[in-house]
Amino acid sequence: MSDVTASPEAPEPAMAPLPGVPVALPPAASRHRSDLVYYGLRNRKLVVGLAVEALFVLAALFGPVISPDNTTAYYLPHLAPSAQHWLGTDYFGHDVFAQLVVGLRESYLVGALGALCAAFTGMALGFTAGYRGGLLDEVLQMITNIMVMIPSLVLLVVIGAYLKTRGILFEGVFIGLTTWPWVARAVRAQTFTLRSRDFVDLARLSGRRAHSIVIRDIAPNMASYLFLVVVLLFGSSMLLAASYDFLGLGPTNVISLGTMMNQSTQWSALQLHVWWWFVPPGLVLTGMVAALLVANVGLDEIFNPRLREQ
Amino acid sequence: MSVRVEHLSIAYRTRSGDVIPVDDVSFSVADGEIMGLAGESGSGKSTLGTSLIYLDARMKHLGGLVELDGGKLPIADSRAMRPHRLKEISLIPQYAMSALNPTRKIRRIITDLLRSHGMRDREVMSELKRRIALVGLDISVLDQYPFELSGGMRQRVTLLLSTLLNPSLLIADEVTSALDVSTQRAVGELLIEFRDRGFVKSMITITHDLSILAQVADSILIMYAGRLAEKASTATIIDAPLHPYTQLLLASLPAAGVRYDQTKLTGIPGHPPSLANPPEGCRFRERCPFAFDRCTATPPFEQVAPGHYVACWKVAPT
Repeated sequence: MSDVTASPEAPEPAMAPLPGVPVALPPAASRHRSDLVYYGLRNRKLVVGLAVEALFVLAALFGPVISPDNTTAYYLPHLAPSAQHWLGTDYFGHDVFAQLVVGLRESYLVGALGALCAAFTGMALGFTAGYRGGLLDEVLQMITNIMVMIPSLVLLVVIGAYLKTRGILFEGVFIGLTTWPWVARAVRAQTFTLRSRDFVDLARLSGRRAHSIVIRDIAPNMASYLFLVVVLLFGSSMLLAASYDFLGLGPTNVISLGTMMNQSTQWSALQLHVWWWFVPPGLVLTGMVAALLVANVGLDEIFNPRLREQ
Repeated sequence: MSVRVEHLSIAYRTRSGDVIPVDDVSFSVADGEIMGLAGESGSGKSTLGTSLIYLDARMKHLGGLVELDGGKLPIADSRAMRPHRLKEISLIPQYAMSALNPTRKIRRIITDLLRSHGMRDREVMSELKRRIALVGLDISVLDQYPFELSGGMRQRVTLLLSTLLNPSLLIADEVTSALDVSTQRAVGELLIEFRDRGFVKSMITITHDLSILAQVADSILIMYAGRLAEKASTATIIDAPLHPYTQLLLASLPAAGVRYDQTKLTGIPGHPPSLANPPEGCRFRERCPFAFDRCTATPPFEQVAPGHYVACWKVAPT
């Protein structure tokens, strides 16, 4: 505070050389970002989680290159894993590894679609309800509560009955539009506490527009939370998609991890001891989601300074 | 006349009916005038100050009008008010130290403000740099986050932000309350400096601290329980106050060079009335040593000498 008392003297000498005020180099210019990188690289959970996840992503991206076969080629059925077929073949004689890498891709696609849809809808409604409040908040809360009440599995069966084919796009959007309510609720609650903060009040007093206040003042103050929400949604969308696929409610025209497990069950892979048909997709799915969650815990520790030094 | 407020009444909506903390208030502030607005806690001074710029959801405009530079301010219409905020009428809040978004650098905060008023930062950047130097800060604050600055520095940044677009009227709400005495003086001198350099045309300084006003203000307006009690030049208020409340308020200030271990500091006996159910007539009646039967009627806020307004039956010209 000692510098404040000096201020009455300070203006006069500083005013004299008007144009050429020396611009001191900002010492703190990029400290914020490098801080995150520093703690990020030191966090074992994040590094391990991301490394495992990166492995799967690479497999999904370059799967067809690694895999010697394509999914439609026919071989002898129920071949055990070998150098020729790394994960054997299924009842139809298709190569399991080739299906796995293609299925990975579909899982990521559905996960991303679902997460984006849910995050967008949830945040839009959450911010609106939380910032505006009042009657609009009541209405939006009611819609949210109704969405929570509707069993999404039943909804999927009903909607699916009217569709000729169900694709990846439909499944992703459907998952997104049924999982947003908890995002909306959490975002709304956070917005409620932030909108009464002093800097938001001053922004309002100085004539800033509502959408600009939400985007520039409220959202950045919960950025780490929003980021974690997207990561969590991503994982849960993949799991949901796999369970829909396993039940036979998934896409009808693609191979995914869930449809692989569905097929293996239908053709009695377990009873015939064809473990290479259903264990790999299950393991891969578990690995993908688990790695994401571990990385998520790591991210939490990085964004939250109170968890950092433990 | 830069600012003219006529018969302004503002209410807070509560479940037990309207509470009126600003009741039929009329005054004016001339160009270049720094008007002090003083009163006890709960006398309505902050509500009066804020209502000129932003009515939040709880506040209701009951009547009266506000004119700024000859044009009427649409204070009841928040949407229509938006372009006037910051540009023509601006406020330094009570909480100036926590009024900056912790996740954005000062430069970004300024850019956001300018953009919301349809301006580019290049237009004001050179002027801004001069002013940063003027308040004794370094240019590097622009690339710092608010939490990297001290409380006093943040307050000066807030002062810069709210005067950036040269508003006609600046409302400084308790800007000196959380500061130590020497810093209070520095901030007071900054306010005067800003007025002298024409960054703000006129100013309303809200405080409960009369000693700060004696230093900063050209005129002082005393509020009591939602009504105006007295307005006069600073010298008149300090040396020859007419309203009993002003007299008692000044008498309850400690005198310099007096030790209060033997004598007791006198206050005003009693409490201000509840605004939810205010008494009829003069609101100071209950605590006033000069009260007489006429005080059951509301005294008008009348001019008794040039520029000296009082609301009291004892001093009213009969």
